[in-house]
Amino acid sequence: MFEFSLHVATIAALYGLLALSLNLQTGFAGLVNFGQIALFGCGTYGAALAFNNQFGPVVGLLLGLVLVSLVALFFARLGRSLGSDYWGIATLAIGQILLTIATNETWLTGGAQGISGLPQLFTGSTRLQGHLILFSVTLALLAATWWLFHRLTQSKFGLSLRLMREEPQFAASLGYDLDGLRRSAMLVAAVPAALSGFLFAHYMTFVGPDQLFSTETFVVWTMVVIGGLGSHAGVVVGAILTQMLFAAVPFAKDFFALPSEYVAAMRLTLIGGGLLGFLLLRPQGLIPEKVGSIRG
Amino acid sequence: MSKLDGMIVVEGLRAGYGDGPDILHGLDLRVAAGEIVTILGPNGCGKSTLLKAIGGFVPPRAGNVYINAQDATAVPVHRRVRTHHVGFVPQTDNVFTTLSVADNILLGARFLVATERRQRFAALMKSYPSLANKRDRRASALSGGERQLLSIARALIADPAVLLLDEPSAGLSPVMMDEVFDEIVRIRDRTGMTILMVEQNAAQALAVSERAYVLSLGRVAIEQRASELLDNPELAGLYLGAH
Repeated sequence: MFEFSLHVATIAALYGLLALSLNLQTGFAGLVNFGQIALFGCGTYGAALAFNNQFGPVVGLLLGLVLVSLVALFFARLGRSLGSDYWGIATLAIGQILLTIATNETWLTGGAQGISGLPQLFTGSTRLQGHLILFSVTLALLAATWWLFHRLTQSKFGLSLRLMREEPQFAASLGYDLDGLRRSAMLVAAVPAALSGFLFAHYMTFVGPDQLFSTETFVVWTMVVIGGLGSHAGVVVGAILTQMLFAAVPFAKDFFALPSEYVAAMRLTLIGGGLLGFLLLRPQGLIPEKVGSIRG
Repeated sequence: MSKLDGMIVVEGLRAGYGDGPDILHGLDLRVAAGEIVTILGPNGCGKSTLLKAIGGFVPPRAGNVYINAQDATAVPVHRRVRTHHVGFVPQTDNVFTTLSVADNILLGARFLVATERRQRFAALMKSYPSLANKRDRRASALSGGERQLLSIARALIADPAVLLLDEPSAGLSPVMMDEVFDEIVRIRDRTGMTILMVEQNAAQALAVSERAYVLSLGRVAIEQRASELLDNPELAGLYLGAH
């Protein structure tokens, strides 16, 4: 049971990083990113491609960061010529393009079979100890990202992002460079998403295209909406709650003696139902965004 | 007249939105330094488009815009604050309601160093006691007129040479309207700033302006001294759609 709980907590912390990343983009900068999973995929495939070419995890990490920077800059560049709604659709399309590449370019990505056998990043005297160290590192990274994003969003930069979110034309008239802000927000937000992917790849020891399905993006969206757009604490709470609910699904299945195939369907129902329920009944989420004075 | 003679010079301006038809059809306009000029006209004549094109929000399809004797035609809107010293006061949604009054003003001080920012902020607080009294309150608590003054104060903190106002009296009570127009004159008298505004309330706007342009279907129909324009029979015709 301890190992199971540790697994749930590790995955929740990894999703927490993804949720903080999406929250900075959408909650603060107003960039409605439906291709969030692509940023995560840069981290997973960075680790896998380095491993496949006999390079160590450090190269994998650097490769993941380079890949995610390129994708983030491309996302930001698209924002120059597209309105926010069309931009959201374009990010979804880019996520799907990357999924198609991961599925079909077998020579590079292992295709549908993916790349397996990645080493665990931390090896203690037992496998459990290795997992404990990985969980501690992920938790520390989550706390550091939270702190950094809190500082950033309380600064002049954060105020600029919120101004861009609320009134882009008005922001431009005051001298705020929207292209630059979009670029900075995407780059800063992309890093924890890629780190999450990198840690996930080494934790699961396998990377495959099914990890890039767009449903994963909507899992992160559900966490952010449940927790509260624009609230760092909220989205982390959203990630933990959603992950706990997901973990409870197999137990519910056993309790109600449901067939095994119901597990995936129940999880999808939880995502859709949770998203819809909160959007209709509590759009501000469990912990709403704090508004007030910022002097930067 | 050379293009250096006016603070704002617009030559042969054609502009529109997206792939749509032209809203402005080769329009010319000049505003001298320190002048208050109003753009009038019926709905859909292109007043706001003209102001947005001068402010950089709508890219011209042809023609040129010179501000403060510099070509601003291809300069992105966010750079005009710094390079062309332009202040813009939007028509609606012009304050950030989740922030305090002070923070709203400081949003306009993006390019100022800390000492300059403090000095100008203090000076504005002296000029606008009604805002100073509410400096730490959220902007959502302000009345419509106070919000307009706040929006003007935010544009002023960057010390612009040219101030563009998009319907500054929109949605205001008659009393607040007078206060805003009086403030526009005070700003010009105090700073020598060039002021170009788009207005629907012709009588009040003309009362504080030196000159006015009346647009019709994206072209200048009348250009006249403000004091003479109200007596011009063409003005009523344009508003009633006779042209």
